Amino acid sequence: MSKTAKVTVDGRSVDVPDNSNALEACRAAGVEVPHFCYHPGLSIVGQCRMCMVEIEGMPKIAASCTVPIRDGMVIKTDTEKAHAARNSTMEFLLINHPLDCPICDQAGECKLQDNAVTGGLPVSRTSEARRQYPGYERTDIGKHVIADMTRCIQCTRCIRFCEEITETGELSFIERGGHTIVWTHEGRALDNELSGCAADVCPVGALTTKEFRFRKRAWWLDKTRSVCTGCEVGCNIAVEHKDRVVHRFIPRVNADVNDFWICDFGRFRSEELNEQELFRPVVRGKETSWGDAQDAIKAAVDAAQKDVLVLGSAKLSTETNWLAAQLFGKHLGANVEFVVDRGDRHRVKNKKADGNVAGWLEGYEAAPNSRGAEAAGVTRGGDTGALAAVLTGTLLPKVIIVLDAAFSAKAEDPAVIAALRKAGTLIVCSRRRSALAAAADVLLPVGGVHNDEGTFVNVQGRVQRFDCAYIPPPIVRTQLEILTHLGKKWGLFDTRWTARSVFEEMRATVPGYAGLDWDSPALVGSAPSASPAAPHDVLEAPAKGGLGLPALQEVGS
Amino acid sequence: MSGGPNLPSAQIAGNPPVGEHGALSCGKALKFSPEARKRVDHLLTRYPTKQAALLPTLWEAQREWGWISREAVDHVAEVLELAPAFVWGVVTFYTMYNRAPVGKHLIQFCTSISCHLADAEGVYAECRKRLGDLKPGETSKDGKFTVIEVECLAQCDKAPAVMVNDDDYAVITKDNLDSFLGGLK
Repeated sequence: MSKTAKVTVDGRSVDVPDNSNALEACRAAGVEVPHFCYHPGLSIVGQCRMCMVEIEGMPKIAASCTVPIRDGMVIKTDTEKAHAARNSTMEFLLINHPLDCPICDQAGECKLQDNAVTGGLPVSRTSEARRQYPGYERTDIGKHVIADMTRCIQCTRCIRFCEEITETGELSFIERGGHTIVWTHEGRALDNELSGCAADVCPVGALTTKEFRFRKRAWWLDKTRSVCTGCEVGCNIAVEHKDRVVHRFIPRVNADVNDFWICDFGRFRSEELNEQELFRPVVRGKETSWGDAQDAIKAAVDAAQKDVLVLGSAKLSTETNWLAAQLFGKHLGANVEFVVDRGDRHRVKNKKADGNVAGWLEGYEAAPNSRGAEAAGVTRGGDTGALAAVLTGTLLPKVIIVLDAAFSAKAEDPAVIAALRKAGTLIVCSRRRSALAAAADVLLPVGGVHNDEGTFVNVQGRVQRFDCAYIPPPIVRTQLEILTHLGKKWGLFDTRWTARSVFEEMRATVPGYAGLDWDSPALVGSAPSASPAAPHDVLEAPAKGGLGLPALQEVGS
Repeated sequence: MSGGPNLPSAQIAGNPPVGEHGALSCGKALKFSPEARKRVDHLLTRYPTKQAALLPTLWEAQREWGWISREAVDHVAEVLELAPAFVWGVVTFYTMYNRAPVGKHLIQFCTSISCHLADAEGVYAECRKRLGDLKPGETSKDGKFTVIEVECLAQCDKAPAVMVNDDDYAVITKDNLDSFLGGLK
């Protein structure tokens, strides 16, 4: 942080970086000035004229986002003049807004709604027909985004997003004045790797994602802190779910990783979490109990002496991989290895990212935690690893344990399955019915990443915690539970262990984990924001409090 | 012509379409002729950034092809390293870029206050009638004339004023309309 300046907001004194603007100073003081076009990740344009405040010494009220602060500045947000200006802006915006909140997906996380509630007139003074946009309503403008110009308030956030963040510029103002629309060039789609974020930044319901449209009212959603598992970048996300169904992923702000964004690939993987297909342990084709399954595993592993190959996974938490390494590697002397697919490049824009292309943080591995798995003591398998030897037939372990049936794209290859099947006992943990699951002697039903907590280590070596959205369905367990229960069989672990206790158990010995605190902000990241259109611009909790209480009282009186 | 890329435009009774938003296609890829390209390259030397040269480059495009088609936008965007959507946004902001093919003579009738008082609307209607009952903005069947209405041409002393392409014509009335049209070859 550079130099700071002292600013007074509504009588409260606050120190802010001297390159802030007045709106940011107000946020820092805990006063949220109503706004639409200001977004902490985008440039300042002063487009919406909503964030009007009075500043001592300035003759006119000013759009606070466009005013650079200076030391000793006195900002007043709660004056009659400021309220009058903001109320006028709201009234202008609402002249042509369809007010179709009951059928609008943005309702509940809409800045226009919020600002209409916290300020503005309680009743409309117009009765004229509202502006219509024939042909520009509820229209696909890209693979993931649907546009409805009747709701647009021309804040230009989406346009700036496409210009500044993705640098693709698909969107632009077309026409001018009262006819202005935000649209793509004829014949071209809004098609970039972060296009879902254009719908995120939209403060109203003009841009919405197809995937989330009409799925769930925003206010019903429970938000759980998590980390994207799409690649090794480890974007911070909120898993938004209700009644044990995951509805969407929304980026969580992390200035060091994904800023305010996530890529479409990661965002639209949310539906995979709802695909739980296996619910009971199966031993040699027969559904059974966990006790029997564990006995079968113990018997097979004991019989095999040390001739066991355990496949950990870069898709599992460091804690789970550590348990596997401790139990099978250290205690039983087996091979514990993981492989990771080097897949397509996925990337996210970060203003401060160092390395790679300036501004982009890139991930090539198709798993979130290869660094964590390695740190936990699981061997990174490659061309010369144990799995490679099994596939070429030079190694034939008596028992193979696959901790994650989706450990690699190879798991769907019939030749690979046939090679793994050559083991005397093949033990597979899986959520879904697959050829590998069908080939297993012992099949264990497991939950997904949202059913457990744990930590991942991303491409920068950053340890990040993800939380449990909801526990797995009855009988189904997480890999961590399976391993603690198995460990108990050998008198090693405690079945009451959670990811947190494993974390505390292992952190002294795992490289990069020493001294880390499970609850520290660095691990946890920021809280999920109430609306994707209103991200926090700081790691701490969002600014509390609002404005315009007089208008609220007016409604009530 | 109005309508998003994927949906046919649904006209709602009582609501006129909000302008012609989408860029029409001319059906083939376009590229500046070497002479036009030379002029554009010269333009670029006179502006600090390529984006700054957008308006004059669009003029060159209009001079070259008569109107700004989707392909013209694509080419201008490529030459100036801009996003096509941005270029089209600029085209639609201004009124003097033609977004559909126009006749050889683009006859622009001023109907602002001075010309209005001198019955510019009457002359405008008469002119369209004589050219074959053209609607405003329509092009005559022989492709020679397009008649439109514009705002003030700054020739109030010579009302009703008319501009044909880039040339001014003064005091065009119903009486001298025939000789005016006859003069346009």
